[in-house]
Amino acid sequence: MAEPILRVEKVSKAFGGLTAVNEVSFEMMPGEILGLIGPNGAGKTTLFNVISGYYRPTRGKVFFKGHDISHKPPYYLAGQGIGRTFQVVKPFAGLTVLENITIASFLKHPRRAQAEAHAWKVLEFTGLADRAKVQAASLTLAGRKRLEISKALALEPTFLLLDEVVAGLNPTEADRTIELILKVRDQGITILVVEHIMRVIMGISDRLVVLNFGQKIAEGSPAGVAADPGVIQAYLGEEHV
Amino acid sequence: MTPISKDRRLLISLVVFAAAVLLPAVLHDTFWLRVTTEAIMWVGLALGFDVIAGYTGYLNFGHQAFFGIGAYTTAMLMMKAHWPFLLAMPAGGVVGAAAALVIGIPTLRLRGAYFAIATWAVARAVQQGALMASFTGGPDGMRTTAFLNPQYFYYVMLAVVAATFFGLWFLLERAPFGLKLKAVREDQESAKALGLNPTVLKIKAFMLSAIPTALCGGVFAYWVTFIDPNSTLGDLLSDQALVMVIFGGMGTLVGPVIGAVLIFMFKTLFWAYLSAYEVLYLIILGAVIALSVVFLPDGVMGIAFRRRRGRAAPTVPQPAATPTEKEA
Repeated sequence: MAEPILRVEKVSKAFGGLTAVNEVSFEMMPGEILGLIGPNGAGKTTLFNVISGYYRPTRGKVFFKGHDISHKPPYYLAGQGIGRTFQVVKPFAGLTVLENITIASFLKHPRRAQAEAHAWKVLEFTGLADRAKVQAASLTLAGRKRLEISKALALEPTFLLLDEVVAGLNPTEADRTIELILKVRDQGITILVVEHIMRVIMGISDRLVVLNFGQKIAEGSPAGVAADPGVIQAYLGEEHV
Repeated sequence: MTPISKDRRLLISLVVFAAAVLLPAVLHDTFWLRVTTEAIMWVGLALGFDVIAGYTGYLNFGHQAFFGIGAYTTAMLMMKAHWPFLLAMPAGGVVGAAAALVIGIPTLRLRGAYFAIATWAVARAVQQGALMASFTGGPDGMRTTAFLNPQYFYYVMLAVVAATFFGLWFLLERAPFGLKLKAVREDQESAKALGLNPTVLKIKAFMLSAIPTALCGGVFAYWVTFIDPNSTLGDLLSDQALVMVIFGGMGTLVGPVIGAVLIFMFKTLFWAYLSAYEVLYLIILGAVIALSVVFLPDGVMGIAFRRRRGRAAPTVPQPAATPTEKEA
């Protein structure tokens, strides 16, 4: 099949003496959903920030569609088709939901009227259209997480990084978000998901990469990874193996 | 902020502008014409201040540097290079924009109070430079050729400030630029993920803030025929612009206009009729500011705006965080 859309090559990221991510490598093929899991502090978000340009890797390289993007800033990567959400949601709180999405739409639609029209389409798609005119600050957590996804989608990305977009939602809201993620995948967008909730990640991922203490300890199908003794040990402790 | 209410505000602005154009026909008193000219100048200063403070979220306590740079550039080009005023004043705007670029590149990396302190310090350095240099006349200042025609200066000031208002209205309320600046103000990290380069946007905003301020400085230099480091580079200029913008409503264009006119007129009336109580003026002004920061975080504009919003939509929008909270 085609070339991998993303290739992470022996990426390490150290903060002072602490190595948060240690020689992690994996690849992603176009159209797949890859789940990135691991216990708290395993380095998932750090790796996320390296891929999306917020951190520079200490060592190693990240290739997107064959190009080395290891040292490119986030706003450049957005232009290349990489959209991301933030674990701690970052709405433009003082602006309306529509304005939030319009700003993201400027990337592909430089004129204000077109950007706004595109923002409406995104809002219809993500189910936020009825909240378009309210201030982002007045949204519920579920609404804000949905806004995060909407902003990333408004960039019309080919590759999407979702950082814990389900965590903290009630089961109904979670199901709606999972539905949305699958709908996005059906549009041909490749998705890298970080999530804590196993039910979610097992259900939607084509493959999983497991991190523990900054290192990749397993990779494969959800069922295979769940049966991996190393993974069970990392999550549950030694006596459960 | 529906397009209709925005258009209505533009219409009101055009009516106010038309009234301002006709004003000298009915206002024959030279004193009041001068007062109105200065009020218009303050509108220009407040608008410039609001571009970086209100729209971009950076409180610039060195705003006076741009005013002084515009004033001195215009005065020097007129007196030493014998440029005509209508060339020297735009040149002052260009030098002001260049100064914003040079000052902005290092200082706009800082946030909140650090940016405020850094810009204040740079402006103090500019003021000290003007005091010590010989080409600025040092503490003695500079004189420009006297051209005693109050109508002329009224119209020049009005032209500069009206061009500023409608130019900013287009750039900030119609074009994408204003929304992009607000994105940077609300959350820089998030803005980056959406393809915006905050550094470039902030520097552009800083230059856009400097240009009208420097142009007003240029008109001021020719109009009052005498400038010195205190009158054109003193930090009172920034303080007043800040007060006007906060009182009127930050991050809007109509707010600074209302704030500048109300506060300047209050000050003038106080000094004209109650000059014996000069100290009281500062006390009252201080109290008004303190009260408006606490009770009107969105300024006078906020009252009108929120009322209109409340009528249009049942959900009452939460007021935006006050600037101090945002900077924290």
